[in-house]
Amino acid sequence: MKIAEFNDVHRAYGRGKDVLAGVDFSLEAGQIVALLGKNGAGKTTLLRIAMGLLETQRGSVRIFGLDPRKDAVEVKRRIGYVAEDQILPGFLRVSEVLELHRSLFPTWDDELARRLAERFDLPARPKVKTLSKGQARQVALLCAVAPRPELLILDEPAGGLDPAARREFLETSIRLLNEAGTTILFSSHYMSDVERMADRVVMIHDGRVLIDNELDALRESYSLALLNGGAHVDQEKLLALDGCFAVRERAGSLHAIFQLDPQESEAVLERELGAVDVRATRIALEEMFIELLGGTVPSGGKRGEVRPS
Amino acid sequence: MSLPIHVLPSAELPIYRQIVGQVLDAVACGRLRPGHRLPSHRELAEELVVSPHTVEKAYDELKRQGLVRARPGNGTYVEDGAALEPAAQHERLYAPARSLAAEAHVVGAPLGRVRKLLSEVDAELRSERHRRKGGRS
Repeated sequence: MKIAEFNDVHRAYGRGKDVLAGVDFSLEAGQIVALLGKNGAGKTTLLRIAMGLLETQRGSVRIFGLDPRKDAVEVKRRIGYVAEDQILPGFLRVSEVLELHRSLFPTWDDELARRLAERFDLPARPKVKTLSKGQARQVALLCAVAPRPELLILDEPAGGLDPAARREFLETSIRLLNEAGTTILFSSHYMSDVERMADRVVMIHDGRVLIDNELDALRESYSLALLNGGAHVDQEKLLALDGCFAVRERAGSLHAIFQLDPQESEAVLERELGAVDVRATRIALEEMFIELLGGTVPSGGKRGEVRPS
Repeated sequence: MSLPIHVLPSAELPIYRQIVGQVLDAVACGRLRPGHRLPSHRELAEELVVSPHTVEKAYDELKRQGLVRARPGNGTYVEDGAALEPAAQHERLYAPARSLAAEAHVVGAPLGRVRKLLSEVDAELRSERHRRKGGRS
């Protein structure tokens, strides 16, 4: 079942250029999807559109088959949302914040809330403003999850947390998945967290979806080829090769991302360009992010090739 | 029962492959013996701090390779006498073989010495397995 569908989503702020310029992707029930992109790529804008807090200026958005602007109440009731800069009322006690959310959400699960508070080791009495950043995040997450939402939207859930608090937050999220198994759409700049959490990766660049694929497929079907002394190689020719996805120049050598096995991409480079000093390896998400978003990315036709088949 | 597994998210292999590889290693040196019950995918997910979907995928792969078997409603167990298909053997052995050959080249060790070393390591693993088997009461 489709939980969320984004079709040709556009959004500009003021008279500026489109932040989102035709975003297409959808979310299946039970998937954990990471939304990636550079700062300003429009991740938060897209998540706010999904929540119905902003309107798409073209195309359409469907959440549970509903329009998040027209059916705002029902959509919000079925989504759990933690914003990047989630602000909880600091003058309330933790127990009062929970009580407030409980009164707003008819589907609030007391037993789940109790169990999570216990597992997070959250105190009930202190005022929210006295909590650590990590604990405040856990309160926000608990409030988002206890109503057992059909879709959980987390915008930079670990932003601003130190490594220990981040790990704890991640552990929390895993327990949550084990307890409540739900569909999750989250944005993050921490690629190692994405590797730990996500089933699927949607990378946004220049207002559009650049990559949309299963994380493991991405990890296993792409490789990075390093061409030593690549100054003599024609970058356009390189980019035109079968399977070549992006090219970047770095300290006198060329980095090329191929949607091929390491051995295959080496073979293509040797055969087509007569390149001799080539070494191709598999790469993790972090390098893929940098190689793709820090270099020359082909436009148009090649985007389609990375969609899940 | 916890598993001797550690994952590194930014390593060359995706996490589910790392889990599969380490279970294979644990079986090879006898730390996991046939009949040993693996933790549930949820338990292992919490222990490793990775998505339960990832652990499920690793377990599915181990089942596909015939290394473990699920007994419905009763957990997942290490199988007796599991062996991989030759193609899968090649896939798994190619990368370590290549890096071993590269190391040998760099230090100037002839192939004969590498072969001898491999037999020694194999004997070591055998004796570890034997020792662990003997240690079982």
